Amino acid sequence: MIKLCYNTAMLQRSGALARIVFVDLIGSVIWFPVWWYTKGLKRFINWCYEGIVYRSKQYAFRVWIKNFFVPMYAQYDLTGRLISVGMRIAVISARAIALAIESLAYLFLIICWMIVPPLALTMALQNIFAGLF
Amino acid sequence: MPESESPQVPEAIVCNACGADPRASASCRVCKGAGIGIPADEGFLVWNVIIDEITIALRKLRIKVNAIFHLSILSLIILFLGLFLAFTIRDFTYAEVQTLAFWTSGYWFITLFYLSVVLGAFFVFRLVEFTSPAKTLPGYLPVASKLKRQSSNVPTAIEVAPYFSPEAMEVVESAYRLAKDLHIVEITPEVLFAAVLTSRSGGLFIARLSMNFETVKDPLVRLLLSGSSGKPPISFSREAKRALAAAFDLANRTGRKYVTPMEIFLQSYLESEKLQDLIDRLGYPKSHMVHVAEWVLLQERLREDQHRFVELARFKPKSGMNRAMTAIQTSILDHFSEDLTLLARQGYLPQLVGNDTVVENMLRGLESGQSSVVLVGEQGVGKAALVEQLARLMVMEQVPEILFDKRLVSVNLAQVVAAGDSGLAAERLITMLHEVAISGNIVLALYGIEALVGSGSGPMDLAETFASEIEKGRFQVVATATPEAWTQYLERRRLGKLMVRVDIPHPDAEQTIRVLMAKSGQIEYKNHVFISYGALEKAATLSLRYLHDVAPPQNALNVLRETAVLTRKTKGENAVVTDSDVAKVVHEKTNIPVEMVTKEESDKLLNLEERMHGRVIGQDEAVVAVSRAIRRARAELREGKRPIANFLFLGPTGVGKTETAKTLAKEYFGDENAMVRLDMSEYQEQSSIGRMIGIPGDDRGGLLTEAVRKRPFTIVLLDEIEKAHPEILTLFLQVMDDGRLTDSVGRTIDFTNTIVIMTSNAGTSYIQSAVSQGESLDKIKTILLERELKSYFRPEFLNRFDSVIVFKPLTRDEVVQIAWLMLNSVVKALEAKSINFRASDIAVEELADAGFDPAFGARPMRRVIQDKIETPLADIILKNEVARHDTVVLNDDGSLSVQKAVNPY
Repeated sequence: MIKLCYNTAMLQRSGALARIVFVDLIGSVIWFPVWWYTKGLKRFINWCYEGIVYRSKQYAFRVWIKNFFVPMYAQYDLTGRLISVGMRIAVISARAIALAIESLAYLFLIICWMIVPPLALTMALQNIFAGLF
Repeated sequence: MPESESPQVPEAIVCNACGADPRASASCRVCKGAGIGIPADEGFLVWNVIIDEITIALRKLRIKVNAIFHLSILSLIILFLGLFLAFTIRDFTYAEVQTLAFWTSGYWFITLFYLSVVLGAFFVFRLVEFTSPAKTLPGYLPVASKLKRQSSNVPTAIEVAPYFSPEAMEVVESAYRLAKDLHIVEITPEVLFAAVLTSRSGGLFIARLSMNFETVKDPLVRLLLSGSSGKPPISFSREAKRALAAAFDLANRTGRKYVTPMEIFLQSYLESEKLQDLIDRLGYPKSHMVHVAEWVLLQERLREDQHRFVELARFKPKSGMNRAMTAIQTSILDHFSEDLTLLARQGYLPQLVGNDTVVENMLRGLESGQSSVVLVGEQGVGKAALVEQLARLMVMEQVPEILFDKRLVSVNLAQVVAAGDSGLAAERLITMLHEVAISGNIVLALYGIEALVGSGSGPMDLAETFASEIEKGRFQVVATATPEAWTQYLERRRLGKLMVRVDIPHPDAEQTIRVLMAKSGQIEYKNHVFISYGALEKAATLSLRYLHDVAPPQNALNVLRETAVLTRKTKGENAVVTDSDVAKVVHEKTNIPVEMVTKEESDKLLNLEERMHGRVIGQDEAVVAVSRAIRRARAELREGKRPIANFLFLGPTGVGKTETAKTLAKEYFGDENAMVRLDMSEYQEQSSIGRMIGIPGDDRGGLLTEAVRKRPFTIVLLDEIEKAHPEILTLFLQVMDDGRLTDSVGRTIDFTNTIVIMTSNAGTSYIQSAVSQGESLDKIKTILLERELKSYFRPEFLNRFDSVIVFKPLTRDEVVQIAWLMLNSVVKALEAKSINFRASDIAVEELADAGFDPAFGARPMRRVIQDKIETPLADIILKNEVARHDTVVLNDDGSLSVQKAVNPY
């Protein structure tokens, strides 16, 4: 039992040392590009999605659409109702446009996430070669 | 090491595939060599990490290497960017930088810029993947489950170590060092436990338990040394592996992010029965340990809930306008009210603990057609807390559709009613309700809705006005009322009928403790003290038992707050509030001895008979019975569901029945008047029950019930019980059996801390004749119970007494002793004037003869002493016949003379 434990211990020790060198230092350099386009990308997209969800909650579309014909500021007369509906159309559209723009910005960020590192690397290589010759 | 039984963790099993055989398990794929683990939804949980000097050093090395690596990358990025900026600014114009040619020109510092971008991305990757202290547990709420249950029959082993927080890993490592120092070859749950005790979180546990580390240390070390000793390698025992896997399971189930030392502590404690036994012997039962763990978890959970609340509160509007913008300005309402949702949003309202069912009932009531709810509960039971919780739920929008996008506004009824002119008050109310109805986004909260009743003119008071408005169904109301107010003002009125009644039950000890746990952080922070679990438990149990003015949990909270302040003042800041501190405060408030019995008190209790005989002459049986009852009560050996004792004192008048009760009150309750004394000759009519327990509709309560409610720890003395109306005796059947009585208001009065003493002269002539014939007391008692008392009391009434005590007629000797006793009070009065008193035996015997009457016992004695001693003495004093230091002598013939003192100067 003790011998076996000892062997396992040896294995684990060398494993731990190997982990520092091969996983933490060298391994991570190899893992990095894979991570960037799989787990990392997923996390980033998720982060963008949460941002959009937060903003759309802030814009309260559900509440505004549900109360579309309910007059604003309790102005129950005809004029009040008409102005209110007009106002709601304007506000909802403005907010929808704002949300669309924000979504586009997030999309741009996602595209950046995907192309910037390889682009930067390519440019770096190109620059090195341009500098050499 | 022998395998110890551990029924607390039954789910732990030996690996099926290898049967935990060391040779087989080394290559076992199911348990990865651990041999033992816990099957859980996530897989087969195992601990298979080996801890020794090298792995400990490597773990630390890894942390350091990673930190250096990250710092290097960051420095490189900064260096590259710095060089790029420096050279670009020096050599190029802004227009040149904007051209593509610049970016592809091949300058080395531009290459550095590109590389810094790539390094930046790498740095982000490293930060995300390599800097978390441990793997996040799959059960951690904000993260979706990553580990899915395997569908194959062979469960996958999950190594739990990566989920251990750095502190938890340090604890495991210090367990290794401890084992090494003590030359033990196995890390057992006991070693793990000891390791946590010495860590920071262990310190918290020790303080919460108000445990003294020094007292635990030695027995714990002795227990550890009982394990098999030897030199390294040191391995984990099966029980320890199981405890560590169970720690993962517990943390995961309770939604924690990582496994912390707290879980290791609790699981290793639960794993080892020896440990439980050891800790129990030191005075900390298992329930305490488990509760303390629960406490730590609860505070953690409350913190997380608060974070979630803050997240969600951001969406709630900051003003009275709702998100749909349909509301209006409510100027009148705003003047008389406070916006609870706004207060909650700003974080001023505390979280609610428990009472989930009541919250559900409240929400259901609001959703129902009636749409108005009244919360009925005693003062202090948490009505306001429930309303505040509603405000918090509304902020988070975790409410039924009908409350969505609305605000909860608390109306200050006193301010509305305080108009002076009743018409004005009604007008204000109607205007306010009109605003509420039009605005459409307001739920009204009314604390103490009974304030509306009667304020106004005639039958059309504010309650009626309010009821008519509610009936229109344009808004919702959450009101609160006490049960008395509900019965008296609302139940039979229209307003009461329009609202859904939601009762708030009294919390039991367990629930009260939980509330105290939740509130303890705040009290600790405010007073800079530390509260032990013992203090919480004591505050909860003592308040439930002795403090009845305010309902729990408020009464317990008040006690705890007061104790915290007192502890800070007496022991200074950072002191620990213990159970005895709480007991002291409760004692001061109620005058009930609730502390641990001290040496002095236990001496007093053990010698109670002797002390009582200082005042009660003879009547040994009575004195012994009463003393025993008190000792049982103080040692807390009684059931707690009946009064401390029920006594029936039988005997002729003037033999010391009342005197015994008074002496008891003086000796044990500190004051001879600490009793509720009712003369039953005043309760001969059936209607007199009303005087005793109150008349329906009158909230003042009855003489008996009110007295006991205000002073629950007391003697209830009922003189001449045979004269009471039979209905009253029936009433007392319940008191003597269940220890409670319901008064006219509907309050249940607790009699479990009273001593019920009833005295009776019934059967006196029999007692006198039997004693003169020399019958034994036992025989007298039997005949009394079987024959003489039958005509006065029903058998079930007599059966309920713990003891029926027969007081014998006094003998001449006893009467003489009583005469001496009474003379003593004269002596004391004279001593105050520095005058001495002396009496001869013959004189006192004569006094006794004159003061004793077979029909009235020693009762005439007081009058005789007054006539023969006190009156002539007063004359002597007034005539200035006696000076200081002189001696008054009671001569054999009964006359008084003065013996002048010799002045030595």
